[in-house]
Amino acid sequence: MKAIILAAGEGLRCRPLTLTRSKVMLPVANKPLLEHIINAVAENDIKEIIMVVGYQKERIMDYFGDGLEFGVNIKYVFQEAQLGTAQAVKLAKEYVDGDFLVLNGDNLVDRGTIADLLAGKNGSVTLLAVEREQTLGYGVVISEGGRVIKILEKPKEIVSHLINAGIYIFTQDIFEEINRTPLSSTGEYAITDTIQQMILKGNIVSMVESKSLWMDAVHSWDFLKANAVFLENCKNKLSGTVEKGATIKGNVLVGENSVIRGGCYIVGPVAIGKNCDIGPNTVILPSTAIGDNVSIDSSVEIQNSILMNDVRVGSGSFISNSIIGANNTIGPHFSTEVGRELMIEMKGILHHAELLGTVTGDDNSIGNRVLIKAGKMVANNCTIEAGSTVHKDLPPGSIVV
Amino acid sequence: MCGIVGYNGKNQAAAILIDCLKRLEYRGYDSAGIAVFDTNVVEVYKEKGRIVDLEKTLPNISGTVGIGHTRWATHGKPNKINAHPHTSGNIAVVHNGIIENFQELKEKLSREGFEFVSETDTEALAHLINHYYKDNLIDAVISALKDVRGSYAIAAICGSELVAARKDSPLVIGIGEGENFVASDIPAILKYTRKIIFLDDMEVASITPDGVSFFDTGKMPIEKKINLIEWNLEAAEKSGYEHFMLKEIHEQPRALHETFAGRISELEGNISFEGLNLTESHIKDISRISIIACGTSYNAGFLGKYLFEQLAGVHVDIEIASEFRYAHSSPGSLVIVITQSGETADTLAALREAKSSGCRTLAITNVMGSTVTREVDNVIYTRSGPEIGVAATKTFISQLGVLYLLALYFGKIRGKISSDHMKRMLVAMKMLPAQITRILNKKDNIKKFAETFSSSSDFFFIGRTLNYPIALEGALKLKEISYIHAEGYAAGELKHGPLALITKNTPVVAIATKGLTYDKVVNNIKEVKARDAPVLAIADEKDSEIEKYVDAVIRIPTTEDILSPVLSTVVVQLLSYYIAKARNCPIDQPRNLAKSVTVE
Repeated sequence: MKAIILAAGEGLRCRPLTLTRSKVMLPVANKPLLEHIINAVAENDIKEIIMVVGYQKERIMDYFGDGLEFGVNIKYVFQEAQLGTAQAVKLAKEYVDGDFLVLNGDNLVDRGTIADLLAGKNGSVTLLAVEREQTLGYGVVISEGGRVIKILEKPKEIVSHLINAGIYIFTQDIFEEINRTPLSSTGEYAITDTIQQMILKGNIVSMVESKSLWMDAVHSWDFLKANAVFLENCKNKLSGTVEKGATIKGNVLVGENSVIRGGCYIVGPVAIGKNCDIGPNTVILPSTAIGDNVSIDSSVEIQNSILMNDVRVGSGSFISNSIIGANNTIGPHFSTEVGRELMIEMKGILHHAELLGTVTGDDNSIGNRVLIKAGKMVANNCTIEAGSTVHKDLPPGSIVV
Repeated sequence: MCGIVGYNGKNQAAAILIDCLKRLEYRGYDSAGIAVFDTNVVEVYKEKGRIVDLEKTLPNISGTVGIGHTRWATHGKPNKINAHPHTSGNIAVVHNGIIENFQELKEKLSREGFEFVSETDTEALAHLINHYYKDNLIDAVISALKDVRGSYAIAAICGSELVAARKDSPLVIGIGEGENFVASDIPAILKYTRKIIFLDDMEVASITPDGVSFFDTGKMPIEKKINLIEWNLEAAEKSGYEHFMLKEIHEQPRALHETFAGRISELEGNISFEGLNLTESHIKDISRISIIACGTSYNAGFLGKYLFEQLAGVHVDIEIASEFRYAHSSPGSLVIVITQSGETADTLAALREAKSSGCRTLAITNVMGSTVTREVDNVIYTRSGPEIGVAATKTFISQLGVLYLLALYFGKIRGKISSDHMKRMLVAMKMLPAQITRILNKKDNIKKFAETFSSSSDFFFIGRTLNYPIALEGALKLKEISYIHAEGYAAGELKHGPLALITKNTPVVAIATKGLTYDKVVNNIKEVKARDAPVLAIADEKDSEIEKYVDAVIRIPTTEDILSPVLSTVVVQLLSYYIAKARNCPIDQPRNLAKSVTVE
């Protein structure tokens, strides 16, 4: 069986992080989200992958190449315009034969999730459903004895707690039906519309409910949660140099050429990439992932955060529950305020964040003693001068004096 | 990274192995070898260098089962003895990976009387398989691998048997008609078959002409699925970029990180190079340096001249390799040669010429084990990884990276640089890869300018001091790939002649970063503006004055003045690329040019 992975979208709700890369390339435990998905697929002995790419495709292709390093064979298909999941599947038609798997590139799954679906394959479409208390914003599945009667896109009230996980096994029947799928009101050809049509025509559409891992990273801050979950599996491996006087507790991964200087206190799970220079006297607390080429000066505290590649953090800084994009240069005594139960506005809509410091995009330059108020985000290419307090979200290229 | 192949089939193995190895050469090459079973003996042929070098030495070999290997050493010496395949009795083995407990195995096997001729871990593997060999290879391989710790992809032959196994290193099996293959990756064998089986960790394959059987390490048979490969090979290699050159321009942050990895310790203000044989007193005693190179490497060396002079206080002569030989000038007490491939014939000839004067020699190169590395006292590798586009981009940036490190290192030892200055420079240098990324993220501005002026027939690139070599490099890139006549000029020299050529039809790219000569460059810009030339300035992002004098500005992130050439380079590369693209030029293979020039 082959798998089609849909990875063409940007992931608008993950801005500012997705201004320079697509959501599927955002790091979870120092690996792109997409890599975790590919691993889950490959562990089920599916080695032929067709990846539908579009937005920032070079980053994806550069990283995964032909897939050999990841034990799979990847073929790329370009989706130029974002015309929906059905169109994306159709683009991959010539590369699949027989039954095939379709997954979203931005839902975190593991080996078990895919195995559950494969074990329950039945009929023209087999879809994976997961039970969630909160179903707002998802497609929900109404079923009877394993057969899907209806898929409802984002219903206003709770009609079922089973949500559509966006992972399917299709037979070749799907392609004919895709051709008959009308454009939806949002201007896309949605695969759920295709499936709904098949149900109406009497095709067998079955459902597998999975209790295995399935995480939907909708907002940028959801990556903190995903990161924490995946870091739990991280193993203790110290490839770099840990100086005398540094304390390492729990599972900590330190990459090649990285230096952990004396007086550092690191409590795992923590993953640190290669060529990093940390400390002296820096404290890194659990569920933190630090990418490659990151320099963190003395007496910094970091907890439950993601720092991407090429970040510099000045001495005496405090970073908590935050995501710092690549290539940020941060001066001494930078501080993130952490807020609980925040309502964050994006494009006029309020989104809930349980616990969040800040999220910054790439290429920012942040001066000494900058404080970012809880839940406020910095886009990319911003310059924040020394002593500033950031009270509101900053658009790309902002200069705060 | 190494590449391995194996063949068992109806055709003569040697030619097929060589052909497959050539396709693996992009993974690197410093030595190569093949082993073919011919009626009753295993014949092994190895050579240092590229696959073509091996091919030249091969006699007519008959035999339809064989293995081959191409090596790109990142540690350890590449030479003929260490080249694969390694043999033990009638068994030959090729290997990609690291045997961690090889010392232990070596001691044990030596005690049993096995004789080791190479320094490789692979030889231990060959002897180990021989040690377990009773009447068939597959059982011997399975037994041997039980004793092995580490990572491996191996292929072994004995008689007409071909066996492959993997753990943590890639290996694929190709299924043909009456012939079957094993290789490190798919492209190597794609010409012969599109039916591929992916070998998984801890699996062993027995490959015969008529079929392949798979086993786990307990010799229980495994069912494997055949995958049909349909991809467009070239597109996958280019990672979605239209050209290798653009891909390699984007790889520059990574290349520079590799160049710096393990060599910089910013907190202590230290630089260290592995394998540098120059002592402190050697470095203090240098009275004059000669840098010898060709083409893009020459431009890097030219910047090196300014760096050594400013940072280390030592006079530098920069020489074009093909001219140096006939100049009858005596070289400095240290000769630095710069050659990406390590095989540039002009540079090698100049090096040999220089050595006769008894100077110390140092090479900056990208290819481990290349000819130049054998002939100099000191080698510093740029670690850019293989470069495929003929126009050098990432290797140039890495050469600059090495030159900065070396000049600072010399400066520190010669007492020209304070510890604090050193630390400041190292911090700024470590930020360069991220700053390059920022330029790449904003490449659309450069594209726009390029498209506007792509139909021009002449271009000028001007700059002063540190920016002059970058002006030369910009002009060279543009010439190479767009076929537009371009000149790089020291900005102050324009008025001594070439100003006569400046008209409204000759766009001028002025590198006007902040620094000692900024005001003078602004004056030079006014000179060309007065002749109506369109001017593009490359300037610091904080410079708010420059736009008054020019038609367009491309801004680069602020760094130490002396480091700005690294960032300006990326702008001129992208500019040349987009101009060539707008003119539909064959960017990766410009007419008349070769990647590595091995003739004088």
